[in-house]
Amino acid sequence: MRTLDYTLEIRIPFPEERMATIAQQVLSPDPILKPEDFQVEYLKPATQHNNVLLVKFQSIDERVLRVGVSSVLDSIKTILETMDEL
Amino acid sequence: MVNLNTIKPKNNRNYYLALGLEGSANKLGVGILKHPILPSHESGDNSHHCQAEILSNIRDTYITPPGEGFLPRDTARHHRNWCVRLIKRALEEAGINDPRNDIDVICFTKGPGMGAPLHSVVIAARTCSLMWGVDLVGVNHCVGHIEMGREITQAINPVVLYVSGGNTQVIAYSENRYRIFGETLDIAIGNCLDRFARTLKIPNAPSPGYNIEQLANKCKNKDQLVELPYTVKGMDLSMSGILAYIDSLAKDLFKGNKKNKILFDQKTGEQKVTVEDLCYSLQENLFAMLVEITERAMAHVNASQVLIVGGVGCNVRLQEMMGQMCKDRANGQVHATDERFCIDNGVMIAQAGLLQYRMGDVVKDLKETVVTQKFRTDEVYVSWRE
Repeated sequence: MRTLDYTLEIRIPFPEERMATIAQQVLSPDPILKPEDFQVEYLKPATQHNNVLLVKFQSIDERVLRVGVSSVLDSIKTILETMDEL
Repeated sequence: MVNLNTIKPKNNRNYYLALGLEGSANKLGVGILKHPILPSHESGDNSHHCQAEILSNIRDTYITPPGEGFLPRDTARHHRNWCVRLIKRALEEAGINDPRNDIDVICFTKGPGMGAPLHSVVIAARTCSLMWGVDLVGVNHCVGHIEMGREITQAINPVVLYVSGGNTQVIAYSENRYRIFGETLDIAIGNCLDRFARTLKIPNAPSPGYNIEQLANKCKNKDQLVELPYTVKGMDLSMSGILAYIDSLAKDLFKGNKKNKILFDQKTGEQKVTVEDLCYSLQENLFAMLVEITERAMAHVNASQVLIVGGVGCNVRLQEMMGQMCKDRANGQVHATDERFCIDNGVMIAQAGLLQYRMGDVVKDLKETVVTQKFRTDEVYVSWRE
């Protein structure tokens, strides 16, 4: 059983708190296909404006980490574009 | 008696507006649909008579080069790239400036289909829903096709033949479910045609099936069918064998394998069969199989009408063959829609989704919006019909 030793944290600032909360709610429902290989958490840490989305990744190796991060970032791009344009 | 007016539209409007988002395969569709409030909907069984008005119906198809099919990752990327643009254009076309108050419900394809592309679209759907404070409804792709077909053609309780790249089912309505009477045991008919198109390396624009239909029309040997395996199994059918066989015929044709007795005259070495002949025979064979299983279902439920939905339903020859069977059998009719609605689109998702919404079905927790590759047509409780 390999442990999730490879980690990454990404902080994304949003213009307002409401948008960071929406992003968190949009990303959270989808289950991870192989939870023993990869985990992701979407958090809203207490900051000055509470407008930051903190994404914490954990993975068994670099390749799985890269794939997972890439996929989450793609979803975040869609969320940002939707917020921007619509 | 079914009351479709229990849920009122927002802001005391006398009509409902739904946004439909579809992305289960390589077509990304966004549609905006309007349903007026009708007194005929207070009771009775009138869900096929919504007087639906289409305010916009936009689609962008991810088309791959000849000889290639579309893969989930690239298709998902295409949908991500186009989703927001299409939604914006659809809202503009429909004249919606205040989605928060103008739109009653956002309908999205929950399944079945390809996982990654479905997911790309649901991310946008969830974001719009939370940003605008608009309810969400998850729709079964097959039910979307059926409800759009019913509304456009006004067919009264037909047997439905749902034929597309991903699905091949014969469906009849009974007691609040769209029940599957017959289906493919392996691949869908659209998939069979698309993969043969890849073997032939013909263009995928506007769609591989369309190009096979055009080649079949050019066949000059229509009275000399190339014999292909005919694989109806009771109420069901199988197509992987016929695909494997016709692929091997095509390969022999391209290689010039003179030993193949079907393709080349054994004495003169002259080519007897062309690509057009193969396309023609393939269509005749596959469509005859579909007509057989559809007729079998009609016999079971005593129906005289057939409604063809799904991308392959655009095929004129299929409509012709089915129409002939309906007429011979029960003096009935075949109903079909044109390519705006046959081919995957957002409006059909809005149509089915709005019917669901009007009957009180709405997403209460975002966990319900997780997409799924497998979603059987009969899993949906059809509350909007008797």
